[in-house]
Amino acid sequence: MFLKPYFAFAKKSFLGRSAYRFDHFMSILNTCLQIFIFWGIYQALYGGRSEVDGITMTMVSTSFILSMGLKAVFYVDDYFLPSKVWDGSIANEFLRPVSFRGRMLAENIGNAIFNVIFHFLPALLISVLLIGICPPESAGMTVCFLFSTILGYGVLWTISFAVQAAAFWAINIWSLATLKDVLINIFSGTMIPLWFMPEWIYEALKITPFPYIYFTPVQIYLGQLSYTEIAQQCMLQLIWILLIYLLGTLLFKKGQKKLVVQGG
Amino acid sequence: MGCFIDVRNVSKTFRVNKRAAGVAGMVANLVAPKYEKKQAVKDISFSIERGEMVGFIGPNGAGKSTTIKMLSGILYPDEGRLMVNGYIPYKQRKEYVGSIGVVFGQKSQLQWDLPVIDSFELLKAIYRVPEETYRKNLSRFTDMLDMESFLNQPVRQLSLGQRMRADIVAALLHSPEIVFFDEPTIGVDVVGKETIRDFIRELNEEDGVTMIFTTHDMQDIEKTCKRLIIIDEGSKVYDGSLFGIREKYGTTRQLDVEFGSPCQVEPINKVEIRKLDDLSGRRQRFTFENKEVQINELMNYLLAHYDVRDINISEPEIEGIIRKIYNGEAS
Amino acid sequence: MKSDTLHMMLVYTKTIMKAWFQYRSNALLSSLTVFLREATGIVVIYFTLLKFGTLGGWNIYEMLFLFSLLFLTYGIMIIFFTGLRDFGKTVRDGGFDRFILRPRGLLFQLIFTNADWFAAVGHGGLGIALFLISAGRVGIQWNAVNILYYLFTVMGGVLIQGAIFLLLAALNIYLLETNSLKELFYWNMRKFAGYPISIFHKAIQVCMIYVVPFAFVNYFPAQYLLRKPDMAQYPQLYLYITPIVGIVMYLAAYGFWKYSLKFYKSSGN
Repeated sequence: MFLKPYFAFAKKSFLGRSAYRFDHFMSILNTCLQIFIFWGIYQALYGGRSEVDGITMTMVSTSFILSMGLKAVFYVDDYFLPSKVWDGSIANEFLRPVSFRGRMLAENIGNAIFNVIFHFLPALLISVLLIGICPPESAGMTVCFLFSTILGYGVLWTISFAVQAAAFWAINIWSLATLKDVLINIFSGTMIPLWFMPEWIYEALKITPFPYIYFTPVQIYLGQLSYTEIAQQCMLQLIWILLIYLLGTLLFKKGQKKLVVQGG
Repeated sequence: MGCFIDVRNVSKTFRVNKRAAGVAGMVANLVAPKYEKKQAVKDISFSIERGEMVGFIGPNGAGKSTTIKMLSGILYPDEGRLMVNGYIPYKQRKEYVGSIGVVFGQKSQLQWDLPVIDSFELLKAIYRVPEETYRKNLSRFTDMLDMESFLNQPVRQLSLGQRMRADIVAALLHSPEIVFFDEPTIGVDVVGKETIRDFIRELNEEDGVTMIFTTHDMQDIEKTCKRLIIIDEGSKVYDGSLFGIREKYGTTRQLDVEFGSPCQVEPINKVEIRKLDDLSGRRQRFTFENKEVQINELMNYLLAHYDVRDINISEPEIEGIIRKIYNGEAS
Repeated sequence: MKSDTLHMMLVYTKTIMKAWFQYRSNALLSSLTVFLREATGIVVIYFTLLKFGTLGGWNIYEMLFLFSLLFLTYGIMIIFFTGLRDFGKTVRDGGFDRFILRPRGLLFQLIFTNADWFAAVGHGGLGIALFLISAGRVGIQWNAVNILYYLFTVMGGVLIQGAIFLLLAALNIYLLETNSLKELFYWNMRKFAGYPISIFHKAIQVCMIYVVPFAFVNYFPAQYLLRKPDMAQYPQLYLYITPIVGIVMYLAAYGFWKYSLKFYKSSGN
């Protein structure tokens, strides 16, 4: 019963999405186009070779299809909290009998579920028909992939939450959010599969949250990790979720206090 | 013909894109859009002399703004002729618009991030206003509208009333011969409204600037305009003086009578009687048409037959009349 | 009349600059952010080529040179055509009505009252940076002919993209909402434009050459200067006609714009 209002928020954001059909149609096209571009680039890069460093072309396609598709699913509106701080309506939000953070998460999850069904699946279908994908490794691995994907979403969501919470300090949130996107795009494996990153960067990335968003689930899907390694990776995902969430909550709480003291 | 502003049988129809729902509807809309016709202005004619001040009123969506937009050259009329100051507005745009000023109450033309004075300087360049004229107008208008204090403040920091005053000056810096005001007092407080009205009236009386107004605030009209054009559902329903509208439509009179003691008044032919306080009937209202019932006869009758303490005669409020015209009750 | 127009341009530019300088530090940060956002693709291609060496026969510096033309032309174009990019918004909020009420040319006002300097500095800055990094390393003889060719090419690239914005703005008069079209025909096509088009599917090549001719903005001009073997599959004539494509497209778009203005219906109410 405690969760009931959050289901309502999730449902609301799910249903709200069906209003902008053309935009939605365009965004699916956009995802497919991105996949198609990277596929084209890697076709040229491979130049007919069957594999590079043990990675086949199909694995590359799979990596792009999954990470680009998940990127669409994982979309979080970075301006949800900031816009409420800017127009002052955040004060009213705190008066409601539901947790504001809980509500943010619920709405985002509603959105994500919509995207899985109406964005990820169509884009997956189109890409599989056009360029092909590796079949799932095994049932067990697929379950692990799904589990790790949810944790990957957790990492991304907490990063976005921390960025949004910075809005209480009236920083240029657009710049902050965009820089966050830049780092994620480069280092999480959506635009360049991390196998092909220079060795030292790949090693360095392991102590950042970025590879745990998209690349870990992709590796699991492709069966590149043993079950022990999977357990390790998922643990690391959880640790990152916790750490970043604590940081975000610290910012959020301090911001909330600041708001109360200064009266907005 | 030969009038300063001459509008003859002007009509304007908009095609409103009608979208079907769904993806199929969207595709259909891209390939073969369907339109619904909406006639915003139907066969309107009027003429206005130089130096007149005319108020346009009508309910939302009546066609006021469309008329103003055609007069100022933003829209082409579909049918009819339209001539202002010897120009056909939509054909001779660049020559024509130099001689007019337009104030949209809902939409500022000032630069949001910059001090008011910077917007004025920009307009000076756009309208090629000679330095001397600019200085003269600026000092005169800022004086009249009491604007010195905020001339150097960014527009985003101004109150609505201050912003509106600045917008009005912005539309007048190039000494236009005609000024169109589209709801110039919307959202402004009572004192601010009074300042704006005084300014507009003074400019009309002293400089002979022709002014056309649209508003929802009848006080604007009562305090500034001698002439009134009422538009409803795209058609002109009244064109005349404010006094005339009372003559024509405001024919109902009310007599509020206070009796010495509660009493029952016998029914009187063509007079509606209503008890005002409670059922005792110490205070009663008599409503009638002044064409049908002579007011002095009614008063004499009441004085002669009942114990009358006080009598109060009232004419209907102009707003009430207008409301009746919109509702199609008056004719 | 001539000096009056020039004066007006200066006054408009001064006004834009003043507004921009109201938020100096924020504006710099925003410009830097645009720079970094646009550089994302460059960083990615840099890392990728560290691994693979070449892409369709193009090495990293040749790729950077190809990208530099795209960013540089966009940076210059957006100084002038921001008003056309945002035309839909200007129409919806009544801003275009105000332009009609002023005794100046409509396109003139649209062009000179708006300039997205964040984008101009971000894209243009990136374009210049990439040019400086690559121009000396790709074996181009920077003699008078090539410099002249380069200047004309940049002008052509600016006009091609300007023409697309102008065309979309004119379509806006009929449709009131063209963001999706812009997304489809400009931004999506532009995503392919940084790479040698020869690596893509034939259908995309046709789009890039004949439908939304980004190929003339950077690919063919870069080919003129670099002469890579993949040029063999295209007509040699395409190496020389970027300025002509730009001028023709712009004139056609301008004609369509002029014609479309008659159908303008003010929004609101």
